Amino acid sequence: MTGLNALLALSGGLFVTGLFGVLARRTIVLQLVSLEIMLAGPALAFVAAGAHHGSVEGTAMFLLVLALAAAEVAVGLAIYLHLRRHAGGGDADAATRLRR
Amino acid sequence: MLAYLLLLVPMPPLGGFLLLALDPYRLDRRAVQAAALAAGCAPLLIVAPLAIANLSGAWGDQVAPIFTLGVGNFEVALAMGIDAMSAVAALTVAFVSACVMIYALDYMSYAGTPDLRRFFALMNLFVAGMLAMVLAADSITFFLGWELMGLCSFFLISYNMTSPRAFAAGQKAFLITRIADAALLAGLLLLFLEAGSVRLAELIPAGAVAEPVRGSIIAALLLIGALGKSAQVPFHTWLPTAMAGPTPVSALLHSATMVAAGAVLLARFAPVIEAHPVVAGATALAGVTTALFGAACAVAQTDVKRLLAYSSISQIGYMVAAVGVGAPAVAMAHFVVHAAFKSLLFMAAGVMSHAGGGSTAIDSLRGAARATPIAFLCYAAGAASLAGLPFVTAGWWSKEAILASALAAGPLGVAIWAAALAAAVLTGIYAFRPVLVAAATPAQPRRRCREHPLAIAPLVVLAFLSLAGGVAVAPMTELMGGHPPHPAHWVEIVGAAAALGGLAGSVAVVFTPALAARVRRARKLRAGLQFDARYYALLVRPYRRLVRHLSGREGAWVDRLGRPPDGATADPVGQATVALGLWLRRVVLTPFTPDRIDIAWMRSAAGIGRVAERGRHLQTGRVRDYALALAVGLAALLILGWGMTWR
Repeated sequence: MTGLNALLALSGGLFVTGLFGVLARRTIVLQLVSLEIMLAGPALAFVAAGAHHGSVEGTAMFLLVLALAAAEVAVGLAIYLHLRRHAGGGDADAATRLRR
Repeated sequence: MLAYLLLLVPMPPLGGFLLLALDPYRLDRRAVQAAALAAGCAPLLIVAPLAIANLSGAWGDQVAPIFTLGVGNFEVALAMGIDAMSAVAALTVAFVSACVMIYALDYMSYAGTPDLRRFFALMNLFVAGMLAMVLAADSITFFLGWELMGLCSFFLISYNMTSPRAFAAGQKAFLITRIADAALLAGLLLLFLEAGSVRLAELIPAGAVAEPVRGSIIAALLLIGALGKSAQVPFHTWLPTAMAGPTPVSALLHSATMVAAGAVLLARFAPVIEAHPVVAGATALAGVTTALFGAACAVAQTDVKRLLAYSSISQIGYMVAAVGVGAPAVAMAHFVVHAAFKSLLFMAAGVMSHAGGGSTAIDSLRGAARATPIAFLCYAAGAASLAGLPFVTAGWWSKEAILASALAAGPLGVAIWAAALAAAVLTGIYAFRPVLVAAATPAQPRRRCREHPLAIAPLVVLAFLSLAGGVAVAPMTELMGGHPPHPAHWVEIVGAAAALGGLAGSVAVVFTPALAARVRRARKLRAGLQFDARYYALLVRPYRRLVRHLSGREGAWVDRLGRPPDGATADPVGQATVALGLWLRRVVLTPFTPDRIDIAWMRSAAGIGRVAERGRHLQTGRVRDYALALAVGLAALLILGWGMTWR
């Protein structure tokens, strides 16, 4: 197994681990953490692919992913605070009012 | 340019009709009478100078086009025109209708109807129709005027709307003339195809030179139209019952308009008839048969109006016969004379019967010579003209011209002459019967009634014309392009003897009790040889049966439309259509009631709703479920992509 393949497998593992966290956890904060882990998977894949091909584009994409993650955390924490204030808890499953 | 004055001729009566029918001003009785009088007399003032200018030769034949439309080889050209024949006819119509209108002013004021607008409006429309017809220079205007008269005669005969008899009489007149009008319309249309134009000036020569079979069909159709309108055998049955209308209507209907229109039609289209000898022979035979039949029936009448009705049938028969033997100008001369004396007879009879309490039975006229002497004398003058007393009456000259023309028309002509002579004897008998009865002394003496000058003035004028008009017969015939016949002396003597013999017969019938009783017993003849009963059995009853049949089973279908069940008066034609529509509904639409396509469609719509209802459960609102769905979708896509790249 070459280095690239090992890194891609690791990034896939990170992604699946994050996905499992999003699906299994009910607390919004931990879901956000899991999402970060999910984002880390593809980011690792970009960096690894960039290093493998000797290209700077992979690193550039990693920066974009970091920006995306920062924005996502900002929105996610705002939602979390709002839910804490109005619904009185961090349970994601309780917030189903958008269904109607 | 002057020809356009012709368009003005029917306008005053038409305007009078519109004014009185719409009546935006709520005219009072006097104003209605004044409007009717003005509208009724104005055509005479307009047409008299035009007709005289034309007849004197100062102003040739004129045509005033109204509207022209050319389509390919065909030309539709509405126009009015004047030639000698239409000048004479229009003058007669305008004059007689003016007289009748003046008379009606007085007569209808006794009628007890508070509203005279309807009566005078219809009378004016009637006159407008006839004037348009006689002055028409194309077949469309001609037919329009012809039909307008038919319509007005229906309304006028059933003027007394509360009387079912009057209504039935109007309906009968309308339906019977309608049958004949259909034939006339067919004839005119065929003639149009033959000529490619509706102008009479082109139609008539085209009809005369048409290929024999087609030409004969056209001529026969025209003849049927004329026979129906003129109440000739076998269409005559509507006229005696038409007596249900008011007397001025009868005076107008019998003399110058409606009934005479058939004679005018035949005289106009005489070249077409003459060009086809078979039809010409049929015309002559139909005319003389009717003349004889009408005269015979008139002898047996006990009602003076019915007597006059049969006499109209008989006299128009003379005109038709004259066209048949090739003397249309002579027929028109008789039309003029007949218009004068027949309107006179009706109006005088109206005055006499009014004075006698309103009954029109001949016996109730007894003593009218004392009660209404002027009307009586006028009636006597008219009767003398009708009977054709030699030399002193106009009727003698015109009738003699017809008899002589018939005699000059070959072997068939001799037979027609003989039959017409027999009819002349009968005419003498029936013409003088009311006169002699009215002159007889009544059981109780009657005092003199006041005769209104408005009613009497037209009578006196017409009486003068029916006596002295004889001098105009020969020149009139020549002006219209005919040749006044100069018969041998013995023919004239026989003709004169016929009229005088009729007078003698009349004296015998009135003053011999045995003969009078015999006439009174002649029920069959009085009922017009039961033509009515036969038509009833032959045509009306099967028709009614058909109606009843249709109202039975199929009628039930009709009733389901919400129409009141009225089987007896249901109309089979309309009902058959409705029944057909209902049958179609039953066969085509009922299998789809409720509509299967619709049901299937609605079911599929409901199914979609149910699917959506179930699918709604998928929407939990929980973020994790959506995330799972996203992950499964992504996995499926990845597996799919992997599978696609599988080698």
